[in-house]
Amino acid sequence: MLGSREPAGLTRRQALARFGAGAATLALPGALGACGGSGGKAKVAKAGGDPWRRYAGTTLNFISENTAPTLAIGANLAEFEQLTGIKVKITQLELSALVQKVALDFASGLGNYEVIYADPYQILAPYHKALAPLNQFQDDEDLPSAHDMGDFIPTQLEAAGKFEEADVVYALPYDAPTMIWMYRQDLFEKYGDRMKQDLGFDPTPSMDSTWEQYLKMATWFGKHATKDVPYGTLHMAKQHDALMNDFSNVLWSFGGDYFGKGDKVGALGATDPGESLLTKDAALKAADFYQRLLRVASPSSLGWDWTGAAEGFIAGKAAMAPLWHEDAATVEGSALKGKVGFAPLPKGPARRSDMYGGTGIGVNATASKDAQRAAWLFVVWATSKKTQLTNLKSDVGGGTPTRASVYQLPEVVKARKPPSKIPNILTYGAIEEAWKPDNIGLRPKIPAWNACDTAIFTALSKMLADGGDPEKFMRQAKQGVDEAIANQKELA
Amino acid sequence: MSTAAAGRVRSRTEQTRAPRRGPRLSFNGAMLAPALALLALLSLFPFFYIIAMSFSRVGLLGGITLTWAGFDNWTRLFTDSAVGASWLRSIVYFALTVGLEMTLGIGFALLLHATKVLRNLSLSLILMPMFMAPVIVGLLGRFLTDSTYGLYAYVLTQLHLFSGDLLGSPTAAFLSVTLMDVWQWTPLVTLIVLAGLASVPGPLLEAAQLDGANYVQRLRHIVFPSLTGVIVVALLIRSMDAIRYFDIITNTTAGGPADATKTVPIRLYETGFRFFDLGYAAAIGLSMLAVSILLANLFLRMLRGQGVTS
Repeated sequence: MLGSREPAGLTRRQALARFGAGAATLALPGALGACGGSGGKAKVAKAGGDPWRRYAGTTLNFISENTAPTLAIGANLAEFEQLTGIKVKITQLELSALVQKVALDFASGLGNYEVIYADPYQILAPYHKALAPLNQFQDDEDLPSAHDMGDFIPTQLEAAGKFEEADVVYALPYDAPTMIWMYRQDLFEKYGDRMKQDLGFDPTPSMDSTWEQYLKMATWFGKHATKDVPYGTLHMAKQHDALMNDFSNVLWSFGGDYFGKGDKVGALGATDPGESLLTKDAALKAADFYQRLLRVASPSSLGWDWTGAAEGFIAGKAAMAPLWHEDAATVEGSALKGKVGFAPLPKGPARRSDMYGGTGIGVNATASKDAQRAAWLFVVWATSKKTQLTNLKSDVGGGTPTRASVYQLPEVVKARKPPSKIPNILTYGAIEEAWKPDNIGLRPKIPAWNACDTAIFTALSKMLADGGDPEKFMRQAKQGVDEAIANQKELA
Repeated sequence: MSTAAAGRVRSRTEQTRAPRRGPRLSFNGAMLAPALALLALLSLFPFFYIIAMSFSRVGLLGGITLTWAGFDNWTRLFTDSAVGASWLRSIVYFALTVGLEMTLGIGFALLLHATKVLRNLSLSLILMPMFMAPVIVGLLGRFLTDSTYGLYAYVLTQLHLFSGDLLGSPTAAFLSVTLMDVWQWTPLVTLIVLAGLASVPGPLLEAAQLDGANYVQRLRHIVFPSLTGVIVVALLIRSMDAIRYFDIITNTTAGGPADATKTVPIRLYETGFRFFDLGYAAAIGLSMLAVSILLANLFLRMLRGQGVTS
């Protein structure tokens, strides 16, 4: 039964099994010694004992982006070590450095990192062949399985865990940052009536708010509320992956997309994404709007990635901003505690779209078979309901659970309203809407994405710095994307 | 012993005594040989491997594989307008940093040389930036220019000289990263020139002063001619560094905004370690190596002209 394998407190049966495994270990030191040492060499205990303890004595290396959930996991490792006897060393890096290390590890074939933070776009799509399909472990009777795979939010399992084939899982959803609209509730309360009178609509962020209204509100704040905030809005518009994320929300909501096979490329991913659509009418309109929006935004936006934008918002540089929902924990821990509201991003003429930036964790296929199986134990534990709840409540991190059931736990439901001990959950109303299949914003999951992404955010950065005709820069973006796809085909 | 036999013996003895022709390894050479062989292996193997990569498509999965691609990467290098633009930026950057560092470095050295009070303290303070790792200088620069909490950004805003993000505007960002490099490496030039100033003949300067030569004339006719060799060495060291300038840009702007700070090393890194197009990255890297060698030769020729090297 799947449910029985969910990690929990020690049962009497587990304790006995563990004692048995320990005795076996004492009795057979030579046999275990032959199975390798630490540093990724898996030690295998005799089959039949507690499946969680089969690789006790092993040391695993987990390489991850320096995100809040990994901070929380790091603080909670003692629990995993107690459960399995496996030690875990975590290497946390900035995303581009992580991608570089993982790619070189795959190329060397050494398998130095058994557990991989598999960014769907920069690792999973180009290097999925170097990740072990997790189905083999899930179906293995000797190993604990990931409890109730259907509990993972379906759009996230597809986006973060699969590539091209619907029935092969390469990674289990580990975190789920999603872009939402954060706004200064105190300022909306203070100026709401005046804004309504001046602008002719209710400014309170809601499901019906549009990007055009957002622009008008940002302009209004910039003119009439400068005693409280210097600008109405701020953005993550540095020449960086962040800029593509910020722009994509507008692009999709205006009915534009990056490639012809849009939905498929975003969800399951594809090697051939189809024709680039960046010079189509909808994309041009989106670019024109984005340029107008950034003209009224804090000029510092051009130097901010997601970290800078969140810090700017917390420092009171603007009344509103599209930010990652996981920033809520930092916002609520700042002087803005209780003053910020959260809503899904505004709608465009075509739809609402909230960029999803979640990632899965997978197992390195170049590691030894036993190390892979030990790594699976960590993957199962780290994405389990219990661990996700612990991470969510962590003082050092602030996880973003990927299992639907976590959000329905009574203590989590209670925390949705302020004052909350779990600040990330204050965003629940926004992310619940954002994760609906019609609203979730999924960027293309293709092997050439790194080069395409760079071409896109470079052209956008030029557009914002130059202030000229958006069409010129979207043509540049398309040309860069087409070249990237052609180069990737040659490399393949 | 017969005459013939004696002749053979004499001939053999002469052969033994005759000096060997061709290269002969001296004792010092023999002692150095293993280290030189190891160094050659460590530098020549990667060098030839990179050349091979530049003519190949490089696959990563399942171990590194090279597939012959002919001159594709090289053709691309010479037709890629983005790489051309990066070279242009690198040249402007090179001229600005090296020019400013040389001017300021020589200026500070002359000031320090003339200073009698707190000279050691001043020298220690001036040299401090040089001892920091470039990556730390980048992080520090990013912190100080940050529009939310940066000191420089705050001062400039208060003085109404600049509002917004110093690293968010193309011109300001380019100047900022240039000045960060100048801040860090001007002290090195100061130190080298200061050492050179110690060798300027004192009696000559005194004689010139007695003859009525003013400070500028003494600089022009005595000090600078004595310093030329030292200045060329400083120029050589800084030029080699400026061509491969990477750490500060990658930690501050990462090449942006609008590609304003995307110099050749940043593009090389991006091609190699972001796109993993290692064949093309090898071609870009080799072009950088060629430019470095050309520049180094130019400066060495200048040094030879000064009689500093043979």
